[in-house]
Amino acid sequence: MDKMSTSHLWVMRAAFVGLAFLIMFFHLLPLSTLPSRWAPPDLLVAFSFAWVLRRPSFVPVMLLAAVMLMADFMFSRPPGLMAMLVVLGAEYLKTRAAGMSEASFAGEWAAVALALVGIAVLNRVVLGVLGVDQARVLLTLSELLLTIAIYPLVALITHFVMGVRKLAPSDADALGIRA
Amino acid sequence: MAKDRSQREDFSGPLRRLLLGVVCLILLAIFLVWRIDSPRVERFRAQVTDAVVPNMEWAMVPVTGVINLVRDFQSYQRLADQNRELRSELRQMQAWKEAALQLEQENARLLDLNNVRLDPRLTFVTGVVMADSGSPFRQSVLLNVGARDGILDGWAAMDGIGLVGRISGTGQNTARVILLTDAASSVPALIQPSGQTALIAGDNTAAPLVSFLENPDMVRPGDRVVSSGDGGVFPAGLLIGQVAADPAGRLRVRLSADYERLEFLRVLRHHGTEAVTDPGSIVAPVTDAGNIGPMPLSANEGASDG
Repeated sequence: MDKMSTSHLWVMRAAFVGLAFLIMFFHLLPLSTLPSRWAPPDLLVAFSFAWVLRRPSFVPVMLLAAVMLMADFMFSRPPGLMAMLVVLGAEYLKTRAAGMSEASFAGEWAAVALALVGIAVLNRVVLGVLGVDQARVLLTLSELLLTIAIYPLVALITHFVMGVRKLAPSDADALGIRA
Repeated sequence: MAKDRSQREDFSGPLRRLLLGVVCLILLAIFLVWRIDSPRVERFRAQVTDAVVPNMEWAMVPVTGVINLVRDFQSYQRLADQNRELRSELRQMQAWKEAALQLEQENARLLDLNNVRLDPRLTFVTGVVMADSGSPFRQSVLLNVGARDGILDGWAAMDGIGLVGRISGTGQNTARVILLTDAASSVPALIQPSGQTALIAGDNTAAPLVSFLENPDMVRPGDRVVSSGDGGVFPAGLLIGQVAADPAGRLRVRLSADYERLEFLRVLRHHGTEAVTDPGSIVAPVTDAGNIGPMPLSANEGASDG
């Protein structure tokens, strides 16, 4: 039992990395090289948050940081900044998740929206202070709104398709003994 | 049970917080290093991309192909309309082709008469577009040619017709092309026929802005925009596009290159424009006796300065 759950943990962590690479892969496909007026939702962050809220042990801090740093490098973003903000956002959500277990989905959605807004604002502020060229506000805003809008869908997929669910109290105790 | 749980949190809390702090500090340090010494980190980024993206190519090519196939299939539904359009377009084109042929012959005769030597060193390497920037905020593509093929930073990339962008970041097997539409791109250009110089600055839209124009009144929509070669950035005379005015009245460039589907790009080998460094010998020829008189002396000074 003990061994099984440990191996399951690592399988799910590998699955998270695989998911992240899949999302990056589809982002990198050279389908359209024309600049668009709106930005698609940031599925990588949305899925990270959905996983973190359900099973924090599947997405440890180090793993999340490594994946987001990789995304920064691949998407020609300023490396490190977005990764740090996402890690902090995930940590904020983890602290909120403890009290959220009985609450409805609306509470979770609101917390995620808050974290996403915080990340977007901090990102722009830090880049602005350090004088880095930035995209237009409209583009950032569209990405933010779409990410918030698509989060319920992402959460559904995480829950039903990927089978990443919150632990029932009995499971938590079982894991608690192991830890 | 509850007691058990709280004990665990007490134990792991500080440790986790420490780990979180360390991770955030490292990420922040990476960001600050990037801000301070951008070229070094960008080189590292090119190496990371070079290591990762070619490994995905086996999957990227078929997936891109399938998606494009589906898109093409959707366009087949409008086949009859397109066919009619193409037919009428073709009739117009045939007239233009005749005109172009005549002009080409005339141009060749004139070049011959003037004994013009076109730049013979402008050869090119052709690369395939492997990936795009992956982010809606940056406009760039990744080519499958790199340092191995002798690609250097700063070379121009064109499709068959017009300028597409500039090489920025080369790995061993890959090179990134910053497109003219990227916000970080600006290219010195010449607007014909008025001969005014300007900067073509991308702003993340399909049509880059024409900025630093001396006299906007002399430029009209439809004028040709070619690279000017100022600053030794690009070879001179590469076609960029046509001037167009946007609804706000600002001048923009409608790019000649087909940005909707960039598949193959030519990277022009460019080894810098030669500068004239010898200032004095035209004014006063150098004599066998050596440097006598004020003119050759000043010429030497000029040469040593340059």
